[in-house]
Amino acid sequence: MIANCLEFSSGVAVVGGVANDDAAAKFKNLYWMFVAQQRHYSQRNKEKDSRNMEAASTKAGVLSHLSLLEVQARSRRTQPQQQSRVKELKAKVEALKVQKQQLEAEIETHQNLQKLRLSLDKQCADEEDVEMEEDSENSQLLRLMARHTQLKDLLHAHHLIGGYDIIKTHQGKGVCVSLATAYEGVYLDTYNLEIDLKPTVKIGRHNIPPFIPVNSLAEVNDMQTNMRAFLDALSQHLNAFAGRKQQLKLLREQHKSVEVMESNVLCSILVLMFKVPSAKTAVLCTLDYTDHSSCLPTRVHFECEDKQLPDSDQWKKNCSLLMETPVHTALTAMKKMGDIV
Amino acid sequence: MSEENMEEVQMLEAQIERLQAEVEALQRQQQDNQKDITFQFRGQMQDAIASLCGRGPVGEKERVMSSLKEEVEEMEEDLRRQTQMNGITLNGCNAKTLRSSGSKVVQQLCLSGRCSELDFQVEFKLSEVKDGQKSQRTISDLNVVLDSNDLQTFSSFVSSVEESCDLLLFFRTLRTFSDRCDDRSRTFQHFQQKYPSVVSLPGGCRSEVMALSHAELSGCVLFVRWSIDVSREGGVSPNIELLTKIPDQALMLFPCWPVGGAAEAFQSLLRILGVEGAMESIIVSFQQEV
Repeated sequence: MIANCLEFSSGVAVVGGVANDDAAAKFKNLYWMFVAQQRHYSQRNKEKDSRNMEAASTKAGVLSHLSLLEVQARSRRTQPQQQSRVKELKAKVEALKVQKQQLEAEIETHQNLQKLRLSLDKQCADEEDVEMEEDSENSQLLRLMARHTQLKDLLHAHHLIGGYDIIKTHQGKGVCVSLATAYEGVYLDTYNLEIDLKPTVKIGRHNIPPFIPVNSLAEVNDMQTNMRAFLDALSQHLNAFAGRKQQLKLLREQHKSVEVMESNVLCSILVLMFKVPSAKTAVLCTLDYTDHSSCLPTRVHFECEDKQLPDSDQWKKNCSLLMETPVHTALTAMKKMGDIV
Repeated sequence: MSEENMEEVQMLEAQIERLQAEVEALQRQQQDNQKDITFQFRGQMQDAIASLCGRGPVGEKERVMSSLKEEVEEMEEDLRRQTQMNGITLNGCNAKTLRSSGSKVVQQLCLSGRCSELDFQVEFKLSEVKDGQKSQRTISDLNVVLDSNDLQTFSSFVSSVEESCDLLLFFRTLRTFSDRCDDRSRTFQHFQQKYPSVVSLPGGCRSEVMALSHAELSGCVLFVRWSIDVSREGGVSPNIELLTKIPDQALMLFPCWPVGGAAEAFQSLLRILGVEGAMESIIVSFQQEV
C-alpha cells in the first residue's frame, strides 16, 4: 500500500508537472486503485473492531464512563454561556424596573403639580390668602414650582394683552419698553423704546419710524409726570399705523383688480382706481387718513368722468362704507354688490 | 442547555416583555403630559423636577430649592412692575394646549382680572405658526365678559372687538376708559371736599352725576353730568353737560334766569376754563347766588 501511495503521489507530481493524456490516464488509474484499497481495508477493520468490542465487553464500563466525562467536559464549555445569558436578562429586568419607577415618579410629580396649580388658581380667583402649611421639603418645593408656573403664565398673559414688557436697564437709571401692534387678531411688528430716568426723564434709543411723532407725543402727554399716558398715546398711533399698513397689504393681496395709484409710508393717504362694470369707466378714489391715531379714513372722495356717478345713491352708500369699515372689507362688499370689478 | 436554565430564561424574557410594554405606556403618557406648554420646563424648574424624582445627587435639594425661590421672587417683582406699568391687574391665566405639532401650536387661554373698578374675563384661542425664523401669532374666537354697572356704554364696542379679535384694542380702550373714570371720580371727590355744603354725589364718587344744591334754594338742583362714551372703534370721549332742575315757582321768581341758556353757557365755560375751572366757577356762583 505504501508503495502504491508513493506511486500515487509521484503520479500526482507527474500530473502536476506535465499535462498530457498518458499521464492523466495513469493518474486516474492510480487514484481509483487507491480508493478501492481504502474501502477494502476499512471493511476489514470494522470486522476486527466488532470482534474486539465483543471480546472487550469488560472494557465497556470504562468506555461509557469516558464518554460521559467527555459529554460533561463539553457541557461545561457551553454552561458559562447560559449563565451569562441569565445574568444579562436579569440586568435588563433591573434596568427596566428602574426606568419604570423613574417614569412613574415623574408622572406622579406632574399630576401633583397640576393639582397644586389648580388649587392655587382657585385661591387667587377667590382672593384667599395662600395657605402656608408646615409640611415636607418635597411639598414645599412642589408648591414653589406651582407658583412658578402660575407666574410664568401671568407674565405671558401681560405680554399677550399688549403690555409694555417693561424692564429696568443701566442699574435702574433707565427702562426699556416694548410696544406691540396687532390688527384683526394678527400680531404685527413690535417696537422698542428706551427711556432714561436719571438725571432727567428723556427718550433714548428706539426703533420707531421717523414719521411717528414720538417727541411731540411725549410733550403733549407730559411724559415726565405721566409716562403711561405717553405710552398709551404712542401705542395708539403705532397700532393705527400698523392697522392701515395691514389694510393696504390685504387690499393688494385680495383685490388685484384694484390699482393702488398712490400711497405713502405713513399710510395716511391712499388713492385707488376702481373699474366700474356698468359704466365702463374708472373711478378714482382718494382716502385721507388725517387722524393718524385711527385706522379709518376721515375723508373719502370719488372722481369719475361720469360726474353723476359719485352722487348716485349707490356710490353715496359706498362712500359711507369706506368711511366706516376697513378698506379691504369694504371693497369685498362693493365687489359683491357688483359696483366694482 | 439545562432545563432549569431554559425555564428561568423564558420567565425572564416574559418579564422583560411585560416591563417593556409598561415602560412604553408610561412614556406615551409622559409625552402627552409634555404637550402642555405650561408644564414644559427649562432651567431651574427642570432641576427641581429632577431632584423631586430622585435623579441627581442627594444634597442637591436645598440648592435647587433656594435657586428656585430666588427665581420665583424675581418673577413676583417682575409681575408687580408689569401690573403697575400696564394698569391692568391679572388674577388668573389658564392656558390649555389644544394642539402642539412641529410648526403649529394652538392654545385656549382664559384670563381674568381687573382694571381699576372694572372686572373682566377674556377667552380666546392663540395660534402660533413657525415659518423658518419667523413666527406668526394670531388670535381667534375672542369672547369678552365685562362686569360693569354701565353695560350699555360698552356693548357695541365689545361686540365689535369680539368680531375683529382685537385683543390689544380691548385692553387699550379699557385702560383709557378706566383712566377717564378715575379722573372724573377724583375731580368729583375734590369738589365735594372743598364745597361740602353745596356739592353732593347722589350716586357715589364713581357715578356720572354731581349735584349742586343749596339749603335755601330747596327744589333747585343743578346737575353736572359727566358721561364717558366708548365708540365702536374704541374711542373714549368724555362728555360733560349741565342739567338744571328748577321748579316752576322759582322760575317765576327769577324770570331772568337763563334756564335754557345755562347748558350752553356751561359749554362755553368748559371751552374757556377747562373742566375743573368751569365746574368750580359754577359751584362758586351757586354758593354766592343766595
